[in-house]
Amino acid sequence: MEVTEQDINHLISLSSFSLGQAEKDALRRDLAGIFKYISKLDELDTSGVEPTYQVFEMKNVWRPDDIVTQDASREDLLALAKEECEHQIKVPKVL
Amino acid sequence: MSRKYDITIGIECHVQLKTKTKLFSEVDNDARGKEPNSCVSPVDYALPGMLPRLNGEAVKLAIRAGAAMNAKINPESRFDRKHYFYPDSPKGYQITQFYHPIVGEGYIELPSGKKIRIENAHLEGDAGKLTHFDTYSLVDLNRVDTPLLEIVSMPDISSPEEARDYCKELWRNMIYAGVTNGDLYNGNMRFDVNISLKKPGDKKLGTRAEIKNLNSFRSIERAAAYEYERQSKLLDKGEKVVQETRGWSDATGVTTAQRNKEEAQDYRYMPEPDLPPLSLSREFIDTEYGKCPDLPADYRTRFAKMISVDTLEVLLDYPELAIRLAEIANSDQLMVDYIANLFASVLLAEENQSLLNDALPSASQLIELATMKSKNELSSTSAKEVFIKLFESKHASKTPSSLAKELNLIQENDSGALEAIVDAVLAKPETAKAQADYKAGQEKVLGFLVGQVMKESRGKANPSAVSAILQNKLK
Repeated sequence: MEVTEQDINHLISLSSFSLGQAEKDALRRDLAGIFKYISKLDELDTSGVEPTYQVFEMKNVWRPDDIVTQDASREDLLALAKEECEHQIKVPKVL
Repeated sequence: MSRKYDITIGIECHVQLKTKTKLFSEVDNDARGKEPNSCVSPVDYALPGMLPRLNGEAVKLAIRAGAAMNAKINPESRFDRKHYFYPDSPKGYQITQFYHPIVGEGYIELPSGKKIRIENAHLEGDAGKLTHFDTYSLVDLNRVDTPLLEIVSMPDISSPEEARDYCKELWRNMIYAGVTNGDLYNGNMRFDVNISLKKPGDKKLGTRAEIKNLNSFRSIERAAAYEYERQSKLLDKGEKVVQETRGWSDATGVTTAQRNKEEAQDYRYMPEPDLPPLSLSREFIDTEYGKCPDLPADYRTRFAKMISVDTLEVLLDYPELAIRLAEIANSDQLMVDYIANLFASVLLAEENQSLLNDALPSASQLIELATMKSKNELSSTSAKEVFIKLFESKHASKTPSSLAKELNLIQENDSGALEAIVDAVLAKPETAKAQADYKAGQEKVLGFLVGQVMKESRGKANPSAVSAILQNKLK
């Protein structure tokens, strides 16, 4: 499957990335390679086969509804943000 | 009301489930009044290697909510990723159930009897909260992955009033089922209203606009009515309705187009590999389904012959009250109407409405109060006074008769005692003219004399008994 310049631009805008032409070209090459590899599956007839949700065949894995004190404090987590303001994460204006 | 165009409305509602912890992490789900980012975990931050762990209680509440929508539960359901880039979601996607929702088809029956079909309802995590400033935005992740049940109706709603009724009935059913706190002001239930118009007789639906994030029944009705006007003007002029998302302002009373986040929404849904699918046993589903208590529709049937429709519709906003009235109906059906009206009169007075948030008087207290009233031991006014006092915590454990005695409100029915009061009033010089007027044929002044006796008795005399004694004495 061919990956067009347009496909790359679409994905970049969905992810709000800002990339240079060299990066775009590299991405396009990489994605094309991945698609080529995956497209081997096209040799199989997958009609009627459902998408895979789980490879371990686990089911109904859930936890009780109990609050657990977190090891990471609010300060620890906020410290990971590039910028913090009044205990919130400060980001460029979005709307 | 006849309209030039047919209205077609479908509604999506996000119900915040009242679990103790979030949908995918073990932190406090109740962030009300808490500091920003104080209810968060590394999972909510989507730090590398962090994996979601499903909250079993949310699954149970979703099933109970399904029961409250007369819906079938899908034993097999799964989670999917809905990708979008926005700072309110550190993961870069929302975990939802796009392909295999837990709740299947159902319906909500409106007070009018019309059934609005439910297409499905699915579990998903909420997004964080953004506050926008001039040059930047602030992100609070407390709300990230609060469990939501998104309920999708079929486009069966055909007027703004019906849209309001549907949302209200859905809200009632959810609070009766006990799956949400149902606090609309704090966004516990948020409604997206899809609305389109078509000429009567047209088979094909018109282009729809979606009004996002409404959280009051009044704004739902107003926004839908406005949207009808807006779209019908466009159609009248031969213009086209644009498919878009619009926002509603209560202050201006208009909807406005919202700027799109992306050129075209492309969510790239894919299976969520971090959460194993659900495969629920019949027994598990039946157990949770069975936890759904009586709903407003059940109480409508139950009280049909006991309480007037208008009164009942006011009272049905309060599940505790419906339960209490049902208890009373079990022991004494005749008292139900009187007690229902007491509650209704309290609700009509704005300053008393908050009473219903407190513990209600017990069934036995209410029955005793109604019995005292029916035996004329209390006047209507006094009965209401005792009723309101019963909500106060310092009086809550008292019997109505002891409370009425304490407040000196027991009505005087003893004719000997009443006659003595009447005699005392008639002996007063200031009533002499009225007595003479009455004897001269002016029957209207009897009211004045009854009033004087009531005043003398400090409101405790039974007015109709007083009136009879007066008429007898002034013959």
